[in-house]
Amino acid sequence: MEELKTLDLKASVANSMQEVFNTMLPMEAELIDAELAEIDNGNRIVGSVSFAGSVMGNVNIQVNEVFARLMTATMLGMDKDESIGEEEVFDVIGELSNMVGGNLKSRLYDFGFPCNLSIPSITSGGHFRIESKNWARRESVAFRYREHTMLVEVYITSNR
Amino acid sequence: MALKVLTVDDSKMIRTVVAKAFGPYDCEIFEGENGVEGLSIAARENPDLIVLDITMPVMNGDEMLEKLKGQPSLKDIPVIMLTAESGKENVMNIAKLGISDYIVKPFKGEQLIERATKIVNLQPRDENDSAAGASTKYFSLDNDIHILVLPLKITKPIVVEVEDQMRTRIKEMAKLKHNKFVLDLSKATYTNMLLMKLIISIIESCRKSGIRHRVVGPSKINDELKGFHETSDIQIDETIDEAKAKF
Repeated sequence: MEELKTLDLKASVANSMQEVFNTMLPMEAELIDAELAEIDNGNRIVGSVSFAGSVMGNVNIQVNEVFARLMTATMLGMDKDESIGEEEVFDVIGELSNMVGGNLKSRLYDFGFPCNLSIPSITSGGHFRIESKNWARRESVAFRYREHTMLVEVYITSNR
Repeated sequence: MALKVLTVDDSKMIRTVVAKAFGPYDCEIFEGENGVEGLSIAARENPDLIVLDITMPVMNGDEMLEKLKGQPSLKDIPVIMLTAESGKENVMNIAKLGISDYIVKPFKGEQLIERATKIVNLQPRDENDSAAGASTKYFSLDNDIHILVLPLKITKPIVVEVEDQMRTRIKEMAKLKHNKFVLDLSKATYTNMLLMKLIISIIESCRKSGIRHRVVGPSKINDELKGFHETSDIQIDETIDEAKAKF
């Protein structure tokens, strides 16, 4: 458990998400203070992956629906005004959480904490709260792209 | 002759990134959502390169690769594996599978092409092909009327391909100031939900873009379309000439 405390989770998640913005999502998103992240306007979409093994936890990527659609349109080379299906939006957010989760899994393994990753799940709607219980560490990372923000949260605890 | 590239990933986003990466090259792209589809397409098309995700539903990438290696006609097809995990253990496990290369997500299209260039001989697409299309495979032009002929059986990869080409075609029509479109269903006699959804998608694209459209097809299709709210008011013409005359 002590070793888990020394792992720079925040940097790992921030670098991972920044890599996504730099490669597949060509958006110049800036890292901001997580306290400043505002995701409550309208419907929200949350992509989640869980991991289990020598450590357990969750990674949640939270954006509002407008930003999710913008990312989907950008990713798929569509006009932002084009009709974008919910399936496509969920696919993009799910894949983002898969990539961030996958990267975190690799970092955990290299740190001596092997674990397995779940498939991504998506939650969407207007009024809900996502919480994890009994975590030993929690980190939040936020990004801003124009008027949109993204919040990435990691909850983790040791299974040893 | 165009190189055949098969991309197998349950994420449409990733398949789109892969297809776009190969866009400037003389390649024909095939798409599968899982290992079962991937094997079926590989057996049918004998691709020159496979870009394969590891984690997929139905059948994952490891299993598909194992089955590929077990078939004499397919075992030598080079495979580039996609993975979301960059850790040493994962890389070592992947290397043991007998792949040509791997790439960690997220990745830029250029990175994938760099890997692919070491394995297959990629040639730039002819400029005339690039301009005309991407969007000519199912389309033709009769004066100022754009005609889309759907094939016999609609599969998920064909849906993705047609919708992509439709988007390009609508932009081309806007540039040319054309707004007449005919959807020809005479060949698409195998009716399934994918066909119905594709028809609805095409009609909605036309309506949204202000494109005047007619649909051509047999009476059987007419009956099927009446069963859907979105298409119940579509008038079917029996022939292309009949459709053109009604513009």
